[in-house]
Amino acid sequence: MDPASANGPVLPLRLDELSVVYGERKAVDRLSLEVRPGEIYGLLGSNGAGKSSTIKSVVGLVRPAGGTVRVFGFDSQKEALATKARIGYVPETSMLYEALTPHEFLEFVSGVRRLDPQRAADRTRDLVTAFRLTDEFDEPIASLSNGTRQKVLVVAALLHQPPLLVLDEPLNHLDPRSLRLMKDLLAQYVKNGTRGVLFSTHAMEVAEQLCHRVGILDHGVLRGEGSLASLRERGAEGDATLEEIFLHLTQEDEGVRAALASLERT
Amino acid sequence: MAWRAAYRLSRVAFTELSFQAIYAFRQGNLLPPEDASKLSSRARSRVLQSKALVAGLLGFLTLGGALILHNASYVAVRLLANPIPVPVFQVGVLTALLSIDVAFLWWTGLQVLPTFLSAGVLPVLEPLPIDGPTLRQTAVILYLRLFDLPVLTLLVLTPLLVGLALGPLAGLAILPGIAAAVVYALALALVTGRFFIRRVQGSRGGGGRTILRWTYLVLWIVPAFGLFGFVTLAPAFFGALTSLAAAGPSAGFDALGASFPFSLASLPALVMNGASALPVGDGGLEILLAASAGYFLLAVGAARWMGRAIREVGMTPPGVPVPADPSPPTLRTTGAVYAVLVKDLRMASRTPGYAFLILLPILDAVALGLLTFLSGPRPGTGTSLALGAVTTAALLATFFGPAFFAIEVVAYSYGRTLPLSERSLVLGKVSLIGAIYLVAAGLVLAIAVLRVDQPLVFIGFVAAEFPAVIAAALLELGILFRRARTRGLPLVNLYTGAWVAVLVSIPGLLVAAAPLVAFEAFHAYPPSVAIGAMALVALGSFALIAPFVLRKRGS
Repeated sequence: MDPASANGPVLPLRLDELSVVYGERKAVDRLSLEVRPGEIYGLLGSNGAGKSSTIKSVVGLVRPAGGTVRVFGFDSQKEALATKARIGYVPETSMLYEALTPHEFLEFVSGVRRLDPQRAADRTRDLVTAFRLTDEFDEPIASLSNGTRQKVLVVAALLHQPPLLVLDEPLNHLDPRSLRLMKDLLAQYVKNGTRGVLFSTHAMEVAEQLCHRVGILDHGVLRGEGSLASLRERGAEGDATLEEIFLHLTQEDEGVRAALASLERT
Repeated sequence: MAWRAAYRLSRVAFTELSFQAIYAFRQGNLLPPEDASKLSSRARSRVLQSKALVAGLLGFLTLGGALILHNASYVAVRLLANPIPVPVFQVGVLTALLSIDVAFLWWTGLQVLPTFLSAGVLPVLEPLPIDGPTLRQTAVILYLRLFDLPVLTLLVLTPLLVGLALGPLAGLAILPGIAAAVVYALALALVTGRFFIRRVQGSRGGGGRTILRWTYLVLWIVPAFGLFGFVTLAPAFFGALTSLAAAGPSAGFDALGASFPFSLASLPALVMNGASALPVGDGGLEILLAASAGYFLLAVGAARWMGRAIREVGMTPPGVPVPADPSPPTLRTTGAVYAVLVKDLRMASRTPGYAFLILLPILDAVALGLLTFLSGPRPGTGTSLALGAVTTAALLATFFGPAFFAIEVVAYSYGRTLPLSERSLVLGKVSLIGAIYLVAAGLVLAIAVLRVDQPLVFIGFVAAEFPAVIAAALLELGILFRRARTRGLPLVNLYTGAWVAVLVSIPGLLVAAAPLVAFEAFHAYPPSVAIGAMALVALGSFALIAPFVLRKRGS
């Protein structure tokens, strides 16, 4: 039974005590967070903070060492196919079948997702046109630039209009036009009040513009969470930027100053 | 000094190449959750094992050839239906050996080259402050390291074993032949690899272009078919050689003497027995010696060309001209199983290693179908040959499981984020394997329809074996996906994952062979009984394996 129909509206995403371990290293440590309907949730953190590991466990690429991941109430471990059917995922690196063309790749994805042929065709045409992929639509992916590959992944993620979008550094490699398109699209995407977006980024100004709430990860632990306004209350100054709040919560502000001083000396 | 620096660079680069070959990280795969140094050392050892396996197979073939050479007088005079002069027989065996060496090494090169290119090792080195000659030499060493054990095995073992079988001078005389064979194989791999990047991997999508791409693949896979084709056609080759030898000096033999590798394979026999040992006509010996020198010089030229071309090939991105007026995007959506099947076919159409495997049973069916057709209307012969062709196709199909699994491993990470059950994935691949078997069988029947005197027996045989082919594919894919699920172990291509591919093929081979054994066991009975027994065994293995592999899992 669909958990949504049984218990009323459920959260697009809920992580409870999620842990991810690689060998001896704990990448994510008992992380709990939720993405609410109509919300864009930004996951912020330095390199190696655990953002990608969190996202990979949401989309089923990494098996959690502990805790649960629920997508619209479906347990990602026990009901993996139901979970994956509700997610559109843009990976951090280009995970594509390089020997296929975008056309062939999208046909494969729409076949696997069992999309209605006419709707899939219409949606593809609109997305490909919007992201200006028409020229490269029948070229092998191996010959495409990083930005174009990223656009193919974005189109594949949006093809089935998923109720949850999970985006790992989705704006990497995009040109200014596509960047703007993507930002506007995300803002519009959650406006119906039922969908959710989880995305990770290093770009504080993008997070500041787009996210309703952000979570700040540091060494796999959530150091702070909330809207920009609520985080400011915990920040050093009343009008602090998200970058300043981030550095303050991860206790990196002193470290940055020390590193700069050291570089100036040499 | 540049070579020393290049060697040092190539050591680091080869570690990266091994790592990418096994884990395909740059192609978007996820690493198993283990310590990186352990993964790196495992990658190096897996590549080494695969090279050792290829070297072992080549060594085994060379040993087999040497044993035949050692017993040449017995085999040539006593075992063959029509006796053949011993020196001519020796030349024939060495020709076969050199041909197989070229084909096998070339085929290995086709398997390795996509990894060499997709690993992207050379583009990483290129922007570093390294001078051009050092980069070129690094590229050469890196390429050679992919083949080092197999090549060393051939260069050392062939002269040694031929020397032991025929005498030390013969061992020395085969050196130019084996050296040329090695260089040709590596150069052919590079030439076809470059062609692959430009015309096949870089080919745009669309129905007409897909047909053109498969045509290109057939064109240059046909020579690589030599390994298998030579084994299939060996009796015909020795038959022709016997006829030529019996006819005495002739233009035909002189023409053979001018061909590769016959000319270079003749040198040991000439050294040991003198010119009179071979039935060459006036000027024939000169032709043979000039051809040998020519082929050796060509090999030297090819080696020099490789020295320049490897860096260029390693850096070439597949280039495609953009059409002036691109057509509006359309999409045809199908079911999940069919989507997997079509995706695999499309990927194979741009990946020669996989295309080769798909085309192998089909080309074999064409070759054996033609043989059947040429066999004449002798009762029973046509059907026997046709059944042989189907048997070969069924047994070859057991190598497809690992191959199609290897296709999936590329970008497997993305596939795992889609709502695609393992069952649909396996079914898509098994459907393709079944289709290839049926196409091969259909081709045999189409070509040899006039010679198959018992078409119903043939059709019954094909149908009875079909469940076993499917069961074998299911078993292999079931094992491989289970291994991938539990250990996150990718198998990037058949060269780097050779051990796993070979080990997994053994149970598959047993399952596919069991009905054939049943057919043989009941051969003395009427065909309906033999085929019935075969069908029972095949259906039994399918009933045992299918529920186990295709059962629904929690996800």
